Amino acid sequence: MKKYRGRIILVLAAVILCVVFLWPTYKDYSYRKTLSALTGEDSLKYFEEHRDKIMSAHAKRMKLGLDLQGGMRVVLEVDVLQMLEDMAKNKDDNFYTIMKELRAETAGSEFDVVSAFVKKFQDRGISLRRYYGSVRDSEEKIVDMLKSEAEKGVDRAIEIVRNRIDQYGVSEPTIQKQGGKRIIVELPGVKDEAEVTELLRGTAKLEFKLVKDPQITYKVMDAIDKYLAGKTENDSLAAPSTLSQKDTLSRNALSELTGGQSIAREDTSKEAQFFREHPFYTYVIPDQNGSGDGYVKAKDKDRVARLLEREDVKRLLPPDFQFVWTQKPQKFRDGSEYYQLIAVRATPELTGGVITDAMQSVDPEDNRPIVNMEMNSEGAREWARITGANIGKRIAIILDNACYSAPVVQQKITGGRSRITGMETPNEARLLEIVLKAGALPAPVTIIEKRTVGPSLGEDSIRSGMTSLIIAFIITIFFMILYYNNAGSVADFALLFNVLFILGVMAAFQATLTLPGIAGIVLTIGMAVDANVLINERIREELQAGKTLRAAIDAGYTKAFSAIFDSNITTFFTGIILYQFGTGPVQGFALTLMIGIVATMFSAIVITRVVFDMMVDYGFKPNFG
Amino acid sequence: MRLLKKTNINFLGARKICYAISGALVLVGILSLIFGGLDFGIDFRGGTELIVKFSNPIEVSEIRSALDKVGLGRSEIKLYGGEGTMFLIRTTEQGEGNIISDKIKETLQKGFPTNAFEVLREDKIGPKIGKELRLDALYAVLWSLVAILIYVAFRFKYTFGIGAVVALMHDVLTTFAFLTIINQLFPALNVEITQEVIAAFLTIIGVSVNDTVVIFDRIRENLKLHRSLPLMDVMNQSVNETLSRTIITNGTIFIVLLVLLLFGGEVLRGFALTLTFGTITGTYSTIYIASSFVLDFTNYMGKRKKKS
Repeated sequence: MKKYRGRIILVLAAVILCVVFLWPTYKDYSYRKTLSALTGEDSLKYFEEHRDKIMSAHAKRMKLGLDLQGGMRVVLEVDVLQMLEDMAKNKDDNFYTIMKELRAETAGSEFDVVSAFVKKFQDRGISLRRYYGSVRDSEEKIVDMLKSEAEKGVDRAIEIVRNRIDQYGVSEPTIQKQGGKRIIVELPGVKDEAEVTELLRGTAKLEFKLVKDPQITYKVMDAIDKYLAGKTENDSLAAPSTLSQKDTLSRNALSELTGGQSIAREDTSKEAQFFREHPFYTYVIPDQNGSGDGYVKAKDKDRVARLLEREDVKRLLPPDFQFVWTQKPQKFRDGSEYYQLIAVRATPELTGGVITDAMQSVDPEDNRPIVNMEMNSEGAREWARITGANIGKRIAIILDNACYSAPVVQQKITGGRSRITGMETPNEARLLEIVLKAGALPAPVTIIEKRTVGPSLGEDSIRSGMTSLIIAFIITIFFMILYYNNAGSVADFALLFNVLFILGVMAAFQATLTLPGIAGIVLTIGMAVDANVLINERIREELQAGKTLRAAIDAGYTKAFSAIFDSNITTFFTGIILYQFGTGPVQGFALTLMIGIVATMFSAIVITRVVFDMMVDYGFKPNFG
Repeated sequence: MRLLKKTNINFLGARKICYAISGALVLVGILSLIFGGLDFGIDFRGGTELIVKFSNPIEVSEIRSALDKVGLGRSEIKLYGGEGTMFLIRTTEQGEGNIISDKIKETLQKGFPTNAFEVLREDKIGPKIGKELRLDALYAVLWSLVAILIYVAFRFKYTFGIGAVVALMHDVLTTFAFLTIINQLFPALNVEITQEVIAAFLTIIGVSVNDTVVIFDRIRENLKLHRSLPLMDVMNQSVNETLSRTIITNGTIFIVLLVLLLFGGEVLRGFALTLTFGTITGTYSTIYIASSFVLDFTNYMGKRKKKS
């Protein structure tokens, strides 16, 4: 017994480890089965009672790939060139010409954009100092700065994508950086594809824009209203022939909230007349406090947005004038939801790149949520000028063209440290913090690859993958016993461990099981037989040559080893290369193949050997058929 | 149980005929590679691909005429699976965001209001990615061959290394030829080059070299034991000695892959088909390409030495 002890302990330890690692996967599966068997309240109750256990099993289970559980995979690319353009100051015609050329040249290729950019300027003998840094900076310093900014831009893009996804609430998303400027986002179980695409596609630009003087805004709104009134007859703007009572009521609620005098209950005909005379104000209710903001019902937002996009309406806007929407509708007491339409200067005062930090906090005096924002020295200088010149005015904080907040400037802010107040809840402050931080990304991203697998295809794939696995396993097992007698059952025993090891190692490394991954296990079952066949054939040969059973087993293992080792290691090479080359599902295949090879060598050389040695010692003669 | 008694077949004697057969297949493979005998899948081409499942059977032509109205009539539309309700719709048209797939979905919704459909899979690949993946696939195959050449040459002899790699190239090309022929004969099987098929090609390389190395190992051993025997006899003896192992191992792998082909579902079909054929050619090439190459090359070098 003693001479096997080491090896037996090794095998047992491996088995126990695999079982330990696979246990959460099993528990997760059984919990889910139990939960789906229970209905309504029972399942909720069961979940509450076992909450911690269920969650921990779920977190530690073996993950399934998107091809098996359904979901979305998106590859984003950061537009470094756009980023460089955004960073430049004093852009002139020369700059734009070069940009245009670069855009054409770098399209469709994956090379170092910053280097190409720098080279282009150097070829033309134009100093980069003209657009970046200060006059005293050396050319090299600017190049280094651009390179590091480009790199940081990608990191920030990852951060903003993560923020957005977290806000959206996807469970277990994976977000990885690939190469220099790509981000791979995997969202398991996501069904509303269009919404997520929108979420990821935004250019993530934070801007500070000065809110227009209310007097100007009202004039513009009046102009639009008048213009539309003159066109109502044949306008595409659907005339609300009858406005329901409820609409009128919520209008009252709004006017009450915006502090104006309440609009008397009007009858339907009056509403219709109001619409004819004031088509714009039917949908956009100006703030009665005189802030210049317009309130638009959530359901009317698209309609008004479309209207404002029309060329003829756009022509009515003064230069450098723009309407932006609030990011979320505001909820009023009666449950109605209104977006705010805010008029701002189109040219941003400052972009988010200057922000170095933002932190949600609480005002020590009145315990209200606040956000502290810090800027770099360059931003701080600008900020002092902007705030100094606009005391008492509002500055809108705009991310991806959605206004998150429009605080009033209380005083000139020097030193770059600002405090933003006026948030209702800590949650609002948290959101603003994210926005300010994320806004430090002056780079747009584009989706260059997108794959969606529906959940039903995933279920089909699991079923067909598992069916193949089981059938392949059964056929192989019977064949081995048939061909090698009880030596065959020893090989089968090893095969069983083999599959256990593959799954155990995958679980231990939190690897993801994909459909090609299952195919890899199926293939491993076929290939794992090889090591046993090599050994058993050798032992047969040695027995035929007249050796004793023990000597034949010894010689068989020794002589077969080099073939097993060399043949498996070459296959392992292709596994490594496949893993490097492949994406998602294919990597899953490469992974199971590689783990399978290691498991095969271990089970064929260690496990079967121990079994044969013990059989011989204890008098159960192994029969090699 | 025993499949074979001790055999003494002159395998390598028949190698000249096999050169001809292999040569022809390799030629088909090369021609197919040059003239695009096999379609590249969406991964390598870029574009938008949808797999939809209707609740009731419908004809490809109906879908095509619906898509024709929105200018997508040139899309590839194939029956997917055997039920007549699943279709693969693919276009290489590029559009911003979801425009193309939304257009397709909208068209199908409007065109067949009474026949609801579910989107099983949706892929959108930018043109950049397709080009990169094609290069990556090529590099992956080349690097595998290089790694194997170095390892086998190091563990055996350099002629063995070259022999192994020649055999592997043969396997890749003949499998390519096989897929092309299958694609021409049974277009309904939708055989095309996807990432999974490339993975299968790399696996063929792995499995085939596995087989080659086992026989090389035996040749290496027998060369030490029988120094006086001519190389051809040693090789024949080695192939004969390992014959039952060759049949059993590759037979098992073949059966297992057949199971995958039959039960693995639509997604894995191209993968399983490629591997199944690859196992056959891999087994064959071990004897008739790898070993034969080593034999003929060694003889050729020997003759040259004598002459000089």
